[in-house]
Amino acid sequence: MNMVSTRDRITSEHPLASLIYRIEEGGALLPESPDNVVEVVGILKSYGHVLDAYWQNLVYIADHQFLELFPFFKYFNGDVSTKKLLRHWWHDRINYEFAEYCMKAMLYHGGGGLDSYLDSPEFTQRAQAAGQAKLKGNFLMSGVTKAFPGFLPEQIRQLCYYSALGQFWEVMSSMFLVLSDRYDRGEIHSINDVVQHVKNGLVEAASKPITYTVMIDGKPYDIIPKSAGLTFLMDTAVPYVEAVFFRSFPFMGTVSYNAQAQQISPEPERFNYGALYADPLPVGGAGIPPTLLMQDMRHYLPDYLHEFYQHSLRGEEDLRVHICISFQKSMFCVTTAAILGLMPHPVDTTDPQERQTNRTYLEGWMNRLVDSRLVSLQDCGV
Amino acid sequence: MLSLLIALPLLGTLIVALLPEKHGRLTGRAIAFTVAILSFVWSVLLGFKFDAELTSLQFVENLPWIAQLGLSYRLGLDGLSLPLVVLNGLLTWIAVYSTDPDIQRPRLYYSLILLLNAGVVGAFLSHNLLLFFLFYELELIPLYFLIGIWGGARRGYAATKFLIYTAFSGVLILAGFLGVVWLSGADSFEYNPALAASLPLSSQFLLLGTLLVGFGIKIPLVPFHTWLPDAHVEASTPVSVLLAGVLLKLGTYGLLRFNQGLFPEAWAIAAPYLATWAVVSVLYGAFTAIAQKDMKKMVAYSSIGHMGFILLAAAAATPLSNLGAMFQMVSHGLISALLFLLVGVVYKKTGTRDITVLRGLLNPERGLPLIGSLMIAGVMASAGIPGMMGFISEFLVFRGSFPVFPVQTLLSMVGTGLTAVYLLLLVNRTFFGRLPDQFSNLPRVEWRDRIPGIILTVLIILWGLQPSWLVHWSETTLTAMLTGPGAIATTPLVTPSTTSPKTSLKVL
Repeated sequence: MNMVSTRDRITSEHPLASLIYRIEEGGALLPESPDNVVEVVGILKSYGHVLDAYWQNLVYIADHQFLELFPFFKYFNGDVSTKKLLRHWWHDRINYEFAEYCMKAMLYHGGGGLDSYLDSPEFTQRAQAAGQAKLKGNFLMSGVTKAFPGFLPEQIRQLCYYSALGQFWEVMSSMFLVLSDRYDRGEIHSINDVVQHVKNGLVEAASKPITYTVMIDGKPYDIIPKSAGLTFLMDTAVPYVEAVFFRSFPFMGTVSYNAQAQQISPEPERFNYGALYADPLPVGGAGIPPTLLMQDMRHYLPDYLHEFYQHSLRGEEDLRVHICISFQKSMFCVTTAAILGLMPHPVDTTDPQERQTNRTYLEGWMNRLVDSRLVSLQDCGV
Repeated sequence: MLSLLIALPLLGTLIVALLPEKHGRLTGRAIAFTVAILSFVWSVLLGFKFDAELTSLQFVENLPWIAQLGLSYRLGLDGLSLPLVVLNGLLTWIAVYSTDPDIQRPRLYYSLILLLNAGVVGAFLSHNLLLFFLFYELELIPLYFLIGIWGGARRGYAATKFLIYTAFSGVLILAGFLGVVWLSGADSFEYNPALAASLPLSSQFLLLGTLLVGFGIKIPLVPFHTWLPDAHVEASTPVSVLLAGVLLKLGTYGLLRFNQGLFPEAWAIAAPYLATWAVVSVLYGAFTAIAQKDMKKMVAYSSIGHMGFILLAAAAATPLSNLGAMFQMVSHGLISALLFLLVGVVYKKTGTRDITVLRGLLNPERGLPLIGSLMIAGVMASAGIPGMMGFISEFLVFRGSFPVFPVQTLLSMVGTGLTAVYLLLLVNRTFFGRLPDQFSNLPRVEWRDRIPGIILTVLIILWGLQPSWLVHWSETTLTAMLTGPGAIATTPLVTPSTTSPKTSLKVL
C-alpha cells in the first residue's frame, strides 16, 4: 500500500493529530509493540469464546423465549438441570447479563436501518401477527395488550435486538477465534495484521442479511424478513459500535454522577460511557456490566496471556483490570478496522481532495475519542 | 511460675544477641518468635489457672534481694495485672511477626524487643516499689534504641525526646516511691496499699502529685504528651504497636495501682480536678487529631484522647469505672495496635501516610481492600460502635463515672463523638473514592501483612460481644482495691442503681 509519507502530510491542529497521522500512514489507533500484539490477540481469543456463548444465548432467547413474560430459565439455553442451576447461583458461569446489557444499549440508542425498520408499519403488522398467534387463548395477556397497545410491539422490538445482536456476535466470535488460530500458526505478527484481519472480516460479512423468524405452533413468522434489506455492517455493526463502544449508559459504580445536578447529559447522543471510555479500575460495587465481561473472559484466557499478566506487580489479584485494559486495546483495533472500513476514500489515496475528505472524516472520529482511554494506552504500558 | 514470663524473654534476648552474625536474620527471628509465643501461651495458661474470686495476689514469688535497700524480688498477679500481662504477650508476638524479615541488624532488634517484653511484664508483676521502678526503667532503654535505630528520618530527635520525657517520668516515680517509704517509716519498698495511709494529707498530696506527673508523662496526659506523636511518627510499625498497645499502659497501670491505690484519701479530694484534667486530655486529643494530615499522627492523638477516658474512670473510682478503666486499657491496646498495624501497611505499600494524598484504597482490584475493611472495623471499634470492645470500655467508663462526675463524663462523651468524626474523615479520605493513577500499581499485600490485623479484629469483636470473658478476671480485684484499707470516698452525685459491679454489668 502506498501510504501518505511524513513529508506530504497535511498539518492538523487536532489534539489527537499524531494518531490521525498514524492512521493516514497505515498504522492503527493502538501503537505497535510485541506486548500489544500478545495482549490483543490473546484477549480476542478469550472474547471470541465468550461471544460464542453470548450469541447462542441471545438467539435462543429470541427464538425460544418469544413473548415469555417470565423467562426464568432464559440463560439455560433449554438445558435446565440442578447442576446448572447451582452453578448459576454460584456465579461460576457465563454472565449472560452482559449480553443483555449490550442489547439494551442498542435498543436504547437505536440508529441504523434496524431502528428505522422497527418503527415501520411493516414491522407493526408482522409483530401483531406473531403476537396474536403467540397469545391465542391467553385471555389475561390479550386483555393487557388491548389495555396497553404499545406493550407487545415494544417487547418484540427488544426481541429483534436480541436476535440482531446474536447474529452480529456470531460473525465476530468466529472472526476473533480465526484470528487466534492464525496467530497460533504464526500468521499474525503486528497490530496492523490484527486490524487488517478484522477489517477483512467486516468487509466480507458487510452485506450478510439480518433476519428474524420465530416458530409459533410449528408455523414460521418472519419478524424481520430478508426483504427488509437489513445487513450486517450498516444495520448491526455500526449501531453496535455507536451504542456499546461509545455511548452506553452511566452506571453507578463505574461513573460517579449526580443526575439532579444534570451531570448526565439529557441527550443520549452525547453519552460517553461506552467500552472505549470505561474506567478499568472499579470504584466499588459488584455486578456492574464491564466487570461481568472481564469475569467471563477470565475463564478463557490463553496460557500465554495469563502468563503475561503474572509478570505484573499484583499477578492474579488485579487480573480483571489487566483484562479490561487489554480488552480496550483490542476494541481500539476493532475501531480502527471500522474507521478504515467506513473511510470515504482509500487511506492511501494521493488525490488532495480525497485526502482532505479523509482528514475531515478522521477528525470527526477523533473528536469523539478525545476523552476516551485511547491516550492512556499510547505508552504501551498498563 | 511468674518468673518464667520474665526469664523466657531475657534468655531469648541473650541467645539472640549472642548468635553468630550469619544466623541473625532467620534464626534470630525464629527464636524471638518462639519466645514471644511461649511467653504469650504461658500468660494465657496462668489466666486459666487464675482464681478470679480471690482478692489476694496469686502465684506470689518472694525472694530477698538487697534487704538493706528494702528491695525484694516480689512478684504477684492479680486482676489488674493479668489482662495487661496477656496483652503484652500477644502484642510482642504480633510485633515480632509483623517485623520486616529483612530488617537491618536483626540480632540487636529482636533482642531489644524481647528485652522490652521482659521489662514491661516485670513492671506489671512487681509488688515491690523499687522492683517496679527497675523494670520501668529497663523498658526505657530498648525502646529508645528501637526508635533511634529503626525509626524514620527524624528518629534521633524523637528517640531523644522520648528518653528525656520518660527518664524524667522515672525520676519522679522514684522520688514518689522514696518519699512514700521514707515518710511512712516503712522498712522496705514492698507494695502495700496501706503504706501511705498514716501520712498527713499534705504529704499525700505532694507524693500523689509527684507520681501523677510521673505516670502522666507515660500515659501521656496533656500537657505532658508532646513526646508521643513524635515517637509514633518516627517509630517503625511493630514498635508503634508496642508503644501504643502496651507501653502507655504502664502509665495507666501506675495510675490505678500506685496513685489511686496508695493515696485513696488524697485521690478522693483531687478527683474532681483529675476528672476535669481527663476532659481536657480527651477533648484536646480529639480536636488535635481532627487537624492532622498524617494518619499515624492522627491515631497517636487519638490515643491521647482515649487515655483521658482512663483518667476519668480512675478519678471516679467506682467499681464499675475502675473496671471500665481496665477494660479501656486492653481495648485501647488492641484497637490502637490494629490501627497502627494497618497504617503501617498503607505506608509500606503507598509510601505515604498523608490523608490529603491518599484516596480510593478500598479499590477491590488494585487497592488494599482487606486492609481497608479491617481499618473500617478498627475505626468503628475506636469510635465505640456497639458489638466491639471500644463500646464496652467506653460504656463502662461513662456508666461508672457519670454518677460521680456527670458534667465531666458528658464532656468526655463529646470526645467519643469527635473520635467518630476524625476517624471517619481518615477512612473517607483515604479509602473511598477512585484510586488515583499514582497509586494504581501498588504492590500486592501479603498474608503476612493481613494476619495480625485479622487476629486483632477478631479479638476486638469477640470481647466486644462477650466482655465477661475478660472482665471476670478483674472484677474482684478492682472492687477490693476500692473497699480495702483506706478505700476511696468519692461521693457519687447520683447513687448508682446497684452497688455491686457484677450486678451493674448486667446492663451490658
